[in-house]
Amino acid sequence: MLTLTDVKKSFGAHEVIKGISFQVEKGESFGLLGPNGAGKSTLISMICGLIPNGAGEIRVNGKLVGKHLKETKQIIGVVPQDIALYPTMSAMDNLMFWGKMYGLSGKKAKARAKEVLNIVGLTERGKDRIETFSGGMKRRINIGAALMHEPQLLIMDEPTVGIDPQSRNHILETVKSLNEQGLTVIYTSHYMEEVEFLCKRIAILDEGKLIVSGTKKDLNNRLAGGIVLKLTVGTLHPSFIEQVKKLNGVEKVIVQTAEELDVHLQSKMEIVADVILLASQSGVVIHNMQLKEANLETLFLQLTGRSLRE
Amino acid sequence: MKKILSICLFEIKRTFKKKSSIVLMLGMPLLFTFLFGSIFGKNADITFRIALVDEEQTAFSKDVIQKLMMDEMISYELVNALEAEELLARNEVQGIVTLEKGIATKLRNEKPPATFQPSLGMSTAPLVIQQVNQAMQAVDIYVAASQVGGFYFNESWESVYGRITENEGRIQAWTEQKTNAPTGHPMMGISYSSAGFSIMFVMIMMLSMTGTLIEARQAGIWSRLFTTPVTRFQVLLGYFLSFLIVGWIQFFLLILLSSTLFDVNWGSPAALLLLVTALLLCVVGLGIAIASLVKTVDQQHAIGTLVIISTCMLGGVYWPISMVPDVMRKIANFVPQTWAMEGLTTLIADSGTIGDIFMPLIVLLGFAVIFLFIGLSRMKYV
Repeated sequence: MLTLTDVKKSFGAHEVIKGISFQVEKGESFGLLGPNGAGKSTLISMICGLIPNGAGEIRVNGKLVGKHLKETKQIIGVVPQDIALYPTMSAMDNLMFWGKMYGLSGKKAKARAKEVLNIVGLTERGKDRIETFSGGMKRRINIGAALMHEPQLLIMDEPTVGIDPQSRNHILETVKSLNEQGLTVIYTSHYMEEVEFLCKRIAILDEGKLIVSGTKKDLNNRLAGGIVLKLTVGTLHPSFIEQVKKLNGVEKVIVQTAEELDVHLQSKMEIVADVILLASQSGVVIHNMQLKEANLETLFLQLTGRSLRE
Repeated sequence: MKKILSICLFEIKRTFKKKSSIVLMLGMPLLFTFLFGSIFGKNADITFRIALVDEEQTAFSKDVIQKLMMDEMISYELVNALEAEELLARNEVQGIVTLEKGIATKLRNEKPPATFQPSLGMSTAPLVIQQVNQAMQAVDIYVAASQVGGFYFNESWESVYGRITENEGRIQAWTEQKTNAPTGHPMMGISYSSAGFSIMFVMIMMLSMTGTLIEARQAGIWSRLFTTPVTRFQVLLGYFLSFLIVGWIQFFLLILLSSTLFDVNWGSPAALLLLVTALLLCVVGLGIAIASLVKTVDQQHAIGTLVIISTCMLGGVYWPISMVPDVMRKIANFVPQTWAMEGLTTLIADSGTIGDIFMPLIVLLGFAVIFLFIGLSRMKYV
């Protein structure tokens, strides 16, 4: 469905996308994860033909995006990060307008708008102006507008920013259901739990580079055992950190603050006792201790040393 | 083509959904037309009344008075000095014009031959002074001729003056009007206000409409539009057509209402359509140019309003351009409103045809090309 081969993009002297390659298969749900400024939106803009790619190739259904812009745009439905709707017009008017932009006739646009309102759960609000909607409802119509022409590939750029949990759940359930019905989905977010919920395959971007990609299972295998011991102590002594690093079964130690330490473990719970013993011997007072299962956020932290939401 | 029409119709629908658009399109122009038309109009309920005192009492002063009396904007009342003072004291007149004794001699010796005493706070004093000056200049040429004639014929200049002015009517027959070319009749009152305020409020409306380009860009609508299979050309043409159509609708309704309510005759419909189209192209171009130079809608409105109000003043939208000094009239040639007003004056006051408004049409289209070039070359789409 979508193939990116060594795609690059620069704005002036600043290279924002540094040779990214990946493939998305038909019917797949693919997550693009990365912190703000990782290059997710730029990558999406290139895929949907909004900006040209500097180097490399982007193909949608085998067609080169730069050469067959009209055809590839017709295949893709884009849900932008902004609520790109006309606030003084009704939901129905908005949906019909976007449908017509994809070539739907007046009658077809009207019929499809009704279907889409049903999909996003806003049938009863169809005649109301967008400006009267809550943030979550606006987001749902924003998604609906991208579904009007029944696209084969739905690209969603942070579609849940700034909304209440209820609307967020509704959106995630809707997208999951659409994917289950065969729609290919590319979902970008810096909320790893959304990506984990929706996507079977995930790529993590950072500073314009794809740092890791694979199925959730692949990525979990890359995680250091899947357990993180989070320590909050009085004062961290360098000697204590060095000794913890040398313990058998410790994959990585990340100093978060002067009092906080993350110890990534290879699933050997007995190490916890060794860490406590070491702290006691080094005169380090432990205030708090938590064992957490590793997730994509942990993986990102492992790979970059930074948090996803920085 | 379907997509262009969809964008165009959607924008028109959006415009007419706003109640403020209706007020701006029709309510405000009609209100201003009525108010200003009343002030400057021959059908006016409110007119400027000026007391006129003739101390000279000669054929010359009577000719000056006759010329002043023909004016349609100011009503002159011939009274003696005492009555004039009383009228002014009772605020029944806005000023006193006195034609002094020895007026002709003073004029020949380049001394002020008349005085004007306006009431306190009278804002149109320059208008009265200019009219009195024009009337005297018109008559002065006969005085000059009479003095030369009197010298050669050994007669008093007054008797020569009498003979010349009695024959004045013959002069008018020397030129025969062969076409419908503009006769230069001034457009007055409600007609003037209708034309002027239609132009001004169409400009304001178009400014508001072209602001949607900035709104759409800011809201991410343009970014989204360009992810759909529409081209920049289709998007721009869709918007552009919507601006033109709303402008046409506004002008058409203003013409209809001013004809019905104020009895304004707008002249040849075909010529008017062409002139309005040229004006709209120019105004939409100006709106797009301003929209391309600013970042926010607020900036566009602030700068646009300043540009429109000031150029309307220069271009004779509020008052006849003949009232302003020569320098201002020369500057006025560089604002589109001057040419739009000239075209409308030709159509309304002189029953002009398309051929008669050729120059205003060309100049307005020239402005449109310049503004659109600036706007489209600087426009940011994403």
